[in-house]
Amino acid sequence: MISSPAEVKNGSGDGGRWLDAHYDPVAGLYTFSSCVDLADLSGDGESRLVVGDLGTGSSGMKLKVYRGTALMSESTLLDLPAGLVAFFMDLHEPRIPAVAVASGPCIYVYKNLRPYFKFTLPGLEINTLEQDVWQQVREGQIDPMCLKEMLESIRKKDAVPLSIRSLRFLSLEADSMDDFVQLHKQQPIRRQTVITCIGTLKKSTTDEDGVSCLVIGTENSDIFVLDPEAFTILSKMCLPAAPTLMDVTGQFDVEFRITVACRNGNIYILRRESNKPKYCIELSSHPVGLVRIGKNVVVGCTDESLQGFTQKGKKLWKINLPAPVTTMAAMDLPTRGFQGVLVGLANCEVHLYRDKNLLSTIKTPDTVTSICFGRYGREDGTLIMTTKGGGLMVKILKRMAVFDDRESAPGPPLAQSVRLNVPKKTKLYVDQTLRERENSLAMHRAFQMDLSRMRLAAARAYVKALESSLTPVSSSLSEPLKMNAVVQGLGPSFKLTLNVQNTAACRPVMNLTISFLYDENLYRMRNPFMRIPLLVPGLIYPVETFVECTSDKGISDIIKVFVLHEGKSSPLLTAHINMPISEGVAFS
Amino acid sequence: MKHRFNSFINERSEDCVKCTIGAGYYSAVTDSARLMVAGQPMGLFDKLVGWLGLKKEVNVLCLGLDNSGKTTIINRLKPSNAQVQDIVPTIGFSIEKFKTSSLSFTVFDMSGQGRYRNLWEHYYKDGQAIIFVIDSADQLRMVVAKEELETLLNHPDIKHRRIPILFFANKMDVRDALSSVRVSQLLCLDNIKDKPWHICATDALKGDGLQDGVEWLQDQIKTMRT
Repeated sequence: MISSPAEVKNGSGDGGRWLDAHYDPVAGLYTFSSCVDLADLSGDGESRLVVGDLGTGSSGMKLKVYRGTALMSESTLLDLPAGLVAFFMDLHEPRIPAVAVASGPCIYVYKNLRPYFKFTLPGLEINTLEQDVWQQVREGQIDPMCLKEMLESIRKKDAVPLSIRSLRFLSLEADSMDDFVQLHKQQPIRRQTVITCIGTLKKSTTDEDGVSCLVIGTENSDIFVLDPEAFTILSKMCLPAAPTLMDVTGQFDVEFRITVACRNGNIYILRRESNKPKYCIELSSHPVGLVRIGKNVVVGCTDESLQGFTQKGKKLWKINLPAPVTTMAAMDLPTRGFQGVLVGLANCEVHLYRDKNLLSTIKTPDTVTSICFGRYGREDGTLIMTTKGGGLMVKILKRMAVFDDRESAPGPPLAQSVRLNVPKKTKLYVDQTLRERENSLAMHRAFQMDLSRMRLAAARAYVKALESSLTPVSSSLSEPLKMNAVVQGLGPSFKLTLNVQNTAACRPVMNLTISFLYDENLYRMRNPFMRIPLLVPGLIYPVETFVECTSDKGISDIIKVFVLHEGKSSPLLTAHINMPISEGVAFS
Repeated sequence: MKHRFNSFINERSEDCVKCTIGAGYYSAVTDSARLMVAGQPMGLFDKLVGWLGLKKEVNVLCLGLDNSGKTTIINRLKPSNAQVQDIVPTIGFSIEKFKTSSLSFTVFDMSGQGRYRNLWEHYYKDGQAIIFVIDSADQLRMVVAKEELETLLNHPDIKHRRIPILFFANKMDVRDALSSVRVSQLLCLDNIKDKPWHICATDALKGDGLQDGVEWLQDQIKTMRT
């Protein structure tokens, strides 16, 4: 009854399962999935969209909050956001989550959208030699050129890396060194790492609004778990490489599992009891997306593949994707018991997978850079995507939408998994099987003996046939011949063609004749005796004759053909021709 | 007809769009009905029924998304001494009754939450009219409201009935609320050709616009009866 252009658009590949709630192609949102979260920031039951906007990458970084289709608030961020999470940091009522934005070496915590707390990562160990060198510079003992040489040697030899300041100094041109040294020499040197990824971990309860710890991964290959109220480091874990993507599950006080994708192309799984990785998944190419679904980990890789692993690192499946992965997110709908993985692809599509089955494809007007699925506003199944061009797209899952597992998944047909109705084993079958098992040796021997006997009988028959020249091939040394016969016609007249060939290498054969033996009541032959001309080796000589069937009873017989040598009584060759039944009636 | 339609709009408040789209059949029915209502015998009978306190019973379904204000609207329509102060989200559904000058309404106030929306269709058969409430301030979920409306209109129990539908574009007090005209555009109400419908801009907190809609509904139901 009601139809609109929006609905027509909907039918593009996603099976009409999503409602296009909002699309603003010029929203000016430049962000990634790690910097997007949904949270009820005002405690009124309506979730807001919180976005850490990267701006141009060097300026215009902002923390934006959307309510419905409108931008509700905007505040400037000091540095590029690396990750953003909403989390409950205390037990105060009303339950309003705080927003943590990780950028550079700091975490900025916002409460009620106002800056609340800033946490800075502890400084790293400083190279003592480097410190001494800068001390000498401050005292004016060495000049910039000398400083450069010394730092250069420290960089090559020492285990502890140089500070950012020294590294920048080493990259400078000779003429700008002096100014740099003058500007910085009074400050003590510091070495600081930066945050690469951030996640949340429930402290002690599994409640939706339970207090959560922040889990951060740093460029220095460390993982920190922070206390939500005091912002002290509760736990520190070390990784073999810098983490890039992170997923955290469990509770800090009970048991937890941190799955981290690292820059060395490996995925490490950390657990509560150890500060070293418990399991390691070595990927064949670099991970670009990491999503945990239940107890499995789904990873999107740069080789355009999607792979599934168990939480112990055992590979479950791998599928190839039509385009490179841009981003990934989990789609979790507990009210409908649905869990899937949303994969944004570079070909302007978003695929929804459950395990390795593609359930739905959403076509987007632009490449999607971030995906977030969850409760937005008052709607539970909301899919929020931002695009490469800065667009914001909101889709709502229809209430009646269902996802069929086998919709487009290639693989064995459904019928293959249907069990056949195999009848029960009968007593006879069982008895036979038992007998075979017990007497296998005797049975084998009997079989072998019968086989040998059969072979012997066949060989004897063959020899007999050869000796009496009953075969159409003659192997005698003086006249090696071959013959085959062709019968043409429907009857009552047949044309009989005998192709005779001398198979000798170079000796011709002569003085041969052909004679036929047949039932004279049935057949009449024009010339039952023929002479064969000299046979040149190799050539095939067709010898033709006509046979007429004189019976109208619809019966047929064998005509025997003998190739004879003049002066010899035994034939050289014998051929039996099975005449076809005559389908016509003789005239006479 | 056209002329009358225009003048009709002018007479009423601008937020109210009266629907009289349809074939000549529809207008003919309306005309005769209006005559009957306005006519002396009908009026007398109505008054008689009113005096006796025997009002005609009508079952009305109140539908709409969660948080659109269904319960608040129904609460407002009840006599002031029966109104409650605190409105909480409805679970499942609740049955409310109120009376107008000539009719006694029994309203099935359905819960709008996603998980209860599949209950709606079980009451379609009994409903003689539908009140569909829309949160005009929730622009994002307008598509969801439209989807639910389409599902409702295509339901076999509704599809072939000339059942009147009253739309309340609620929450007009909210700053970013859409106008009733915009709401009817977004919901593609113009495509409803075979049912009488009417949209009212309302503010259920103050009660603005509610009486307007209920009067229309009362007229429609009387039309159906006669």
